[in-house]
Amino acid sequence: MTPHSGSQYLGADVAVASNDPEHLQFLEAAGRGEFVLQQCAECERLRYPIGNACPFCMALGWQWAAVSGRGTVYSYEVVTHPIHPSFRGLVPYVIVLVELDEQRGVPGEHDALRVLGLLVDAEGNPEPEERAGINVRVQVDFADLGDGLALPRFRLADEPSEFPVWRYGYDGAG
Amino acid sequence: MLEFPGQRLRDRYAIAGIGATEFSRDSGRTTRALGVEAVRAAMLDAGLGPGDVDGMLSYHGNDSTASPVIAGDLGIRLNFYMDCSGGGSSIEALIGLAMGAIEAGMCRTVATFRAMNGYTGNRIGGTGRQAPVFTGLSLDQGIHGMHSAAQSFAPSFMRHMYEYGTTSKQVAHVKVAHSKHASNNPRALYPKRVTVEDVLSSRWITKPLHLLDCCLETDNGVAIIVTSAEHARDLRQRPAYIMGVAGRVNKEQPGGYHWTRGPISRVAGGHAAPIVFGQAGIGPEDVDVTGSYDAFTFTTMLQLEAYGFCKEGEGGDYVSSGIIELGGARPNNTSGGHLCEGYTHGIGHVVENVRQLRHQADDYCPGWAQGQHTYDYSEGGCRQVQDVEVTMNLGWASPSTGSALIMHN
Ligand SMILES: [Zn+2]
Repeated sequence: MTPHSGSQYLGADVAVASNDPEHLQFLEAAGRGEFVLQQCAECERLRYPIGNACPFCMALGWQWAAVSGRGTVYSYEVVTHPIHPSFRGLVPYVIVLVELDEQRGVPGEHDALRVLGLLVDAEGNPEPEERAGINVRVQVDFADLGDGLALPRFRLADEPSEFPVWRYGYDGAG
Repeated sequence: MLEFPGQRLRDRYAIAGIGATEFSRDSGRTTRALGVEAVRAAMLDAGLGPGDVDGMLSYHGNDSTASPVIAGDLGIRLNFYMDCSGGGSSIEALIGLAMGAIEAGMCRTVATFRAMNGYTGNRIGGTGRQAPVFTGLSLDQGIHGMHSAAQSFAPSFMRHMYEYGTTSKQVAHVKVAHSKHASNNPRALYPKRVTVEDVLSSRWITKPLHLLDCCLETDNGVAIIVTSAEHARDLRQRPAYIMGVAGRVNKEQPGGYHWTRGPISRVAGGHAAPIVFGQAGIGPEDVDVTGSYDAFTFTTMLQLEAYGFCKEGEGGDYVSSGIIELGGARPNNTSGGHLCEGYTHGIGHVVENVRQLRHQADDYCPGWAQGQHTYDYSEGGCRQVQDVEVTMNLGWASPSTGSALIMHN
């Protein structure tokens, strides 16, 4: 159970337990610049977050599959009151819930591979809320955690949105 | 597919006793002391002594005192007990488990409690005092800056606004209504009436949530006695009969996260509704009073939608129409709820509906204990709903976990 040590995020230890190879390999892949998800060995569907069986067919077998890391913001929030001390220096920060381009609308029309992440700029600093919004296009970005690990986050993609962007507090929204 | 058992247990069980400590933000006591006081108060309310209670249930987040200790302090010997970890929708689930334990013949009368130093002890919203390491499940959510319930649930509300044009202004009416109710509740921690503008001008917690969209962390203990309807009729109070109960109903949620599947503005209550209404044999139109969990203003709205009190997407209109206020067609959380009376992790909402069914809302009417009310809902007045017959609790732990309870008098 000795955790993987030497990695940190925002000054707090990232300690992946030795009996948790799934999370460790996920963060190691990010460290190599790859965004990988579990793919079922039976039905071949991708899944996120990490799980120990396929939520679509219950199969146990799986392998990692690289995905593009591109997607559309499905929902978001702007955190102004931080809880974890490591995030105090970051407020206000935007958390985006992204629907990846792969497997959108599967298995149901309201389903997708949804991934959480901090919305950051090219320097890794939080994007201001006026740049966030539902339907904004984003792409994965990696925050170095040290010791070979990285954390997937998101930055704005330089491409038009499929649907009009909706921003809380702008143009009468919300 | 196996069928749900339908109306087999309807009216066979009842809540016979209720009890609560003071609601405060400085209890200065242990959860053991709070739990003992609450359970004792509920037993005395029902007219029960230590030999009359033989079952005990509680729920907690590693912040309570276990049943055998509470029972031991009160001289109760238990035939059945269970202390489970769980969120705010646990109380309805435990009332159902109490019925099941009695039905199975394991015990006869069950005290269910929640005891928490929710402000001075273990704050559910997090204290920010520690710098926990990122490990295990926090690698999926916490590491992205999402830690408190407000931070976890906010995207569901944001998406509802996007889908349906719901506004912060509409949802602020939940706080306005609950503050009106709390102003007629001598026990309420936050009895001051507020306006929509007060809510919208309070500081941001996480957009789209303002401070006054969030509930009040509270120190308290609350307890409920469940027994057979037959036995309840012989006890001290008018029974609140259980018509239907649904406990800890989930949405599909890979990884246990509510944001993974389906429309995130659609909450688990939609799955609990056919179970609880099916048992009760009634529909939302037959309910006089609701107790929709108000961890936040918008959680009340999302649940009222899910159970069919209004159509999906029309929750903003429903909660801002006056319906949910005392004097309206179907008041919600007449005690002031978690937003204003104090945060009890759900159990206080059930206790309030029992008071309503007894016509004994403990308001400022001099004759409330005898069921004599003025029905004047102005500040410092009455909070009893006239001619109430059927109440419903809509319990919440997250957008993907809900419970429900329908009772009548
Ligand atoms: Zn599969």
